[in-house]
Amino acid sequence: MVRLENIAKWYDAAPVLADVSLTLDPGGFYFVTGASGAGKSTLLNIACLAERPSRGRMRLFGADPATLDRSRRAALRRRIGIVFQDARLFDDLSARDNVALPLRIAGTPPREVRDNVADLLAWVGLTKRADLPAGNLSAGERQRIAIARAIVGRPDLLVADEPTGHADDEVAWLLVHAFESVNRLGTTVLIATHDIGFASRFDHPRFHLGAGMLSEAAAEEEA
Amino acid sequence: MSRQAPPRPRRYTLPLGRGDAGRLLPWVLAMMAYVAALAAGGLIAAHTTWRDSRTALSTAMTLEVPAAASPARMQTLMAVLHHTAGIASVHVLDQAATARLLAPWLGPSVPLDGLPVPHLIDLRTDPGRSPDLAGLRRELASVVPEARLADHRGLAEGMQGASATVEIVLAAALAAGLTLIAAVAAFAVRAGLAADRGGLALLHLLGADDRAIAKQIARRWLLLGGAGGVIGAGAAFLTVLALRPAGAIGRLPAPAGTGIVGWPLWVVLAAVAAATGLIALLSAQATVRRRLARLP
Repeated sequence: MVRLENIAKWYDAAPVLADVSLTLDPGGFYFVTGASGAGKSTLLNIACLAERPSRGRMRLFGADPATLDRSRRAALRRRIGIVFQDARLFDDLSARDNVALPLRIAGTPPREVRDNVADLLAWVGLTKRADLPAGNLSAGERQRIAIARAIVGRPDLLVADEPTGHADDEVAWLLVHAFESVNRLGTTVLIATHDIGFASRFDHPRFHLGAGMLSEAAAEEEA
Repeated sequence: MSRQAPPRPRRYTLPLGRGDAGRLLPWVLAMMAYVAALAAGGLIAAHTTWRDSRTALSTAMTLEVPAAASPARMQTLMAVLHHTAGIASVHVLDQAATARLLAPWLGPSVPLDGLPVPHLIDLRTDPGRSPDLAGLRRELASVVPEARLADHRGLAEGMQGASATVEIVLAAALAAGLTLIAAVAAFAVRAGLAADRGGLALLHLLGADDRAIAKQIARRWLLLGGAGGVIGAGAAFLTVLALRPAGAIGRLPAPAGTGIVGWPLWVVLAAVAAATGLIALLSAQATVRRRLARLP
């Protein structure tokens, strides 16, 4: 599914990731933990083709993105759902149109778009707010719309960067359970969080990022 | 998860360019297009005018014979003219034509009967075969010593230098207008895309194809630029129409006067409008491609 080998990333000679190797199996559910600034977002950005690594090799869905042309890389991106920490919605579009965007980009027939979007809006409990501009929604509602947008296309890979960052404990649990529902449909899920304690409450593999290196959190904790 | 083959992308509208960016662009481009259209129209008018005037002057001469010349001498003069090689036509202006020529100086109501108005003879030379003017002058002087042959070819040569200067100035104005259109369009496109930067990056992450993004942005700027071009060219056309009754164009020699409001003007205005849209389109394409190329 996703395979990173000896990935390094630096910005203006400042290293963020030193030597990271990671394999995500199809249908897996993973946490990446680490302190703020540890490079979690950078790692996720590389995994979802939002950034290129400075060094190292990567395979995504069996292909090496570095060897693909831009059109094929765009096709790979359409197989990935992304939940950003700050939601990143089009504020002047309605909640419904924001959720529909990945399907429209992928060329899904309009009837299918309408039905899928309606289902997702009902699932995140925002059917009645569907026609409001996203800019008029609360932070929590925006995050639910962002999650709906990320999974509406039934992606093969879902990456979420601090999706529980602004949520209280109960909402954070619900969010993770929602991701688990998606995972049960076959989507591989990778969640980045700074809250190691929260991630450890779930029975999913965890990787810890520190000093630009990745380690298996469970083994580290046992040690 | 079972996955079907991805469907063929359909046409969809990306949420780009929905802000204020570009709203003023058509009006700014319209002003540039107006200047360019007027310069282009003026260039064609000047070129046509000078060319036709030069042609007319370089083949025209006027023979002025004193009013006292007897009919017999006039007949002899006409015979000399008709037999001179290189003279294509000889036309004696009648009294009415002479009166029209003198009207600007004497006024329309002054009778010419009592005035010693000279006989005027309009001569057209063969463009391919110039007459021997020195020999002709000698022959004419032997018949009517006071006869005066006015050769306009020197004037035509003087006009050539003046016309070249005017045409260069107008061509420079046209080039400046088109360059300004390109500069303004490029600047406006960059500003517009800067406003769309976040949306552009997000669409890229969601898997939007570069070509679809570039095509939609280019189409929008083509429409904005084209609208500016049409407005500017339309204003230039109205200016030409407004100037005609005032005589600024109507007083030009006939070939130019008819030429500038005919099909050449339409062609020039359409070309300026199309060029404005095209420049905006190319600026947008170049800018958006550069910006997309920076994304991974």
